[in-house]
Amino acid sequence: MAGIIGYGVYIPRYRLEQKEAAMPWGSWSPGEKSVCGMDEDVVTMAAEAMDKAINHAGIDPAQVGAIHIGTTSSPYIEQYVAPILAEILGLQPETTMIDYSGSLNALANALLGCLDAIAAKRIKCGIVIGAEDRATAPGADGDATFGAGAVAMVIGTTGTIADFEGLHTYSTYFLDRWHAVTDSWVSNWNDYRFDREYGYQKHVAEACKGLVSKLGKTGQDYTYAVFPQPDDRIAALPAKDLGVPRESLAPAISSTLGDLGSCSVFISLAGILDKAKPGETILLASYGSGASNAMSLIVRTQIGRKRKRVVPLEKYIARKQYITYTSYLRLREHLKRAPY
Amino acid sequence: MRGKVAVIGVGMIKFGELFDKSLETMVQEAYLNCLNNVDKGIDPKEIKAAWFGQWSGGFIGQGAQSGQSLASFIGNRDIPVTRLENGCPTGGDTFRHACLGVASGLYDVVLALGAEKMRDKPSAESLGGAGSGGGAETGSHPAWMMGQGGPAIQALHATRQMYELGYTMEDFARVAVKNHHNGTFCPYAHYQFELTIERVLGSYVVCWPLHLFDCCPQTDGAAAAIVCRADLAKKYTDKPVYVLGSNVGTDHSQLWDRNSLVEQLSSVKAARGAFEMAGIKPKDVDFGELHDCFTNTELMNIEDVGFARKGEAARMLKDGEFDMHGRLPINPSGGLKSHGHPIAATGLGQIFEVVTQLREEADKRQVKLKKGIGVQHNVGGPAFGVSVFNILSRSQ
Amino acid sequence: MTQPAPASPVYWRFNPEVFRLIGIKCNDCGHISYPRTKICHECGSLNLEEYKLAKKGTVHTYCVNWAPPPNFEPPITPVIVDLESGGRYQGLMTETATPEDVKVNSKVEMVLRKLTTDRGLNVYGYKFRLVEED
Repeated sequence: MAGIIGYGVYIPRYRLEQKEAAMPWGSWSPGEKSVCGMDEDVVTMAAEAMDKAINHAGIDPAQVGAIHIGTTSSPYIEQYVAPILAEILGLQPETTMIDYSGSLNALANALLGCLDAIAAKRIKCGIVIGAEDRATAPGADGDATFGAGAVAMVIGTTGTIADFEGLHTYSTYFLDRWHAVTDSWVSNWNDYRFDREYGYQKHVAEACKGLVSKLGKTGQDYTYAVFPQPDDRIAALPAKDLGVPRESLAPAISSTLGDLGSCSVFISLAGILDKAKPGETILLASYGSGASNAMSLIVRTQIGRKRKRVVPLEKYIARKQYITYTSYLRLREHLKRAPY
Repeated sequence: MRGKVAVIGVGMIKFGELFDKSLETMVQEAYLNCLNNVDKGIDPKEIKAAWFGQWSGGFIGQGAQSGQSLASFIGNRDIPVTRLENGCPTGGDTFRHACLGVASGLYDVVLALGAEKMRDKPSAESLGGAGSGGGAETGSHPAWMMGQGGPAIQALHATRQMYELGYTMEDFARVAVKNHHNGTFCPYAHYQFELTIERVLGSYVVCWPLHLFDCCPQTDGAAAAIVCRADLAKKYTDKPVYVLGSNVGTDHSQLWDRNSLVEQLSSVKAARGAFEMAGIKPKDVDFGELHDCFTNTELMNIEDVGFARKGEAARMLKDGEFDMHGRLPINPSGGLKSHGHPIAATGLGQIFEVVTQLREEADKRQVKLKKGIGVQHNVGGPAFGVSVFNILSRSQ
Repeated sequence: MTQPAPASPVYWRFNPEVFRLIGIKCNDCGHISYPRTKICHECGSLNLEEYKLAKKGTVHTYCVNWAPPPNFEPPITPVIVDLESGGRYQGLMTETATPEDVKVNSKVEMVLRKLTTDRGLNVYGYKFRLVEED
């Protein structure tokens, strides 16, 4: 199977303490989160992650045969983000350019699409980019927890730092979070127990169980397990079902950067790859709106050779500047100036 | 040009925020003042061609203007009239074209008039219009054009003057102090109040390193000149003023193409060509009206046109050399700093001042004349890439 | 309704310059510039070739505009940058915590940013960010 040739992340420098956005509305949230600057959005964040990934991979952009974007916070419902990034790379018009959206599974879907294209021998190498800057509204729980960020992966078969060993999908019709066309923010079904256990936990665990049994492995065989982190504790739930020890779980990032949506699990993956050693294995699963994709990865020796070109996640985490809640309200356009 | 062209009359109106005057009214008043200034009298029908300086057209709410506008306003539709625009040098260049008209031998007596109505829009809008905030409206891309405008472009020069030449914000402020002082003696100036360095540096920062009082105001105005064949001048006036040289210089249209940001080559070239045409040198000049749209610009202009070596102007200013009664008065009228910059009117307002000074009719602001030679200068356009330089004299 | 600026052919024409920094170099006088042109602005030569500008450079000059045009949030910091590839580039700074962070000779790099929005359509282009020394 194909693998990751190189990767990159981008996190904006601005930070808001999560409680600042929660307390005025009578709730509370721990830690802090990343916030896009006034001139940033999913396109600008994706561009930097993409730049870093190409640089890390060490490939000529001309080799990229497909560019797949995964996001639920594109500025447009009709208008593509992929071609803007393709323009920056100078990709030919014959390149496949696709935007994936629809759920927090979007980036995983973008990755699967790329892997399928490589398996079908339509392309040799593709780039998969995710970015999130999700819509929120004052008082909605996402306003306190949603963070902004981007991650990009160059996928192919030559010079990989980690290879995919297997994939498995598990999806049902399940309502938990949603963003309707008539709303300008993401909403939550508000039954945490139901959402967490019958939604996230169930689908992630089932996808992973299906994958590991296909591969003849168990949860304990993996060095690392990476699941999405809408909060710092939820990943432990499917981990328990799979017999994955706590220590194998990727470090918490939700109280540092916020809930990064469809990018969450892949940004965590980048953090793991920043330090992983050849031969180590990674169990990864995405989750969004009742769909989960589980993936198994094995780390290769190239990872050490290319490591000095990485701009690590921790560097972006350390690069920060706090803003006030008032600045945040203006940045998110919750507060607008009178038109005249 | 030397020996062919003379100025026989000049006229202007008081520049200011003239809310009760339309463009037409300003044009008519400047024109009538100009006719009255011809001391032996002139029949308007003797004017055989005209050039109408008008920078903005519909850009800041004045509507499209062509030669016909002037012809219509002055009630003379029997002559060829052309509207002229060349950035901030529009006024000085309108004068130059009038001179060319006479020097060509085609016309004996011609009119140059410039008028601008900036204040039918709030200052911020006409300032933005004068700079184009950036976007498709500039035919260019926001990535390169955003935030550009007169103050920003001069501020980019000012930062470099501070870095390369060791100039300070105090040096810049000193220009405003001098020019405001001169302006208190000029009845045509928009602003007539004194300034101190402290007040300039204490005013709010418009575009660092430039403060509010480093910038000329947004102003309405109109000014005119009547120009004729040198050998006919005495028929109209006992005090004709002769044009020795008139030139326009150009440089790159984008700042990033320019080589140095402590000089404006367009000014250098305009002045050099005019001096060659006139057969004189900068040291022969008694005084000058130089384009001080911003204080740092005046220092740059003084060096660019040849009155000081690069990096020397600030010290010479501090020593009083450019004061009204100094060795080489610069902007005895009070400059753009006091008059404002009604773009197409400015150059002709400066011509008005040069002619008035050379005729020794400048009353309380009269400078001392030695050779009786004065100069008028503008610089402007998108990257300050175009400049005009006119040299006038009380003798042939 | 007037055409939203981002949809105008003016912007589309400049995609190679704006996104990939394709400029022009004169083989006669060496002048490097953008956007692409057929005649060298410096010397008038026709002997030109496409030239890729670098994304990194040092600040040649800057100012801090507290009175930008309507719809722009002050302060904005225009800069002219000497690029590593040769040539100069004009743009805005981003992410300066205070305008005083920028100085002549500061090291900067280009980052993609959203420049303006018109009726929901975004215009993207490069701004400059200070390079953080390790």
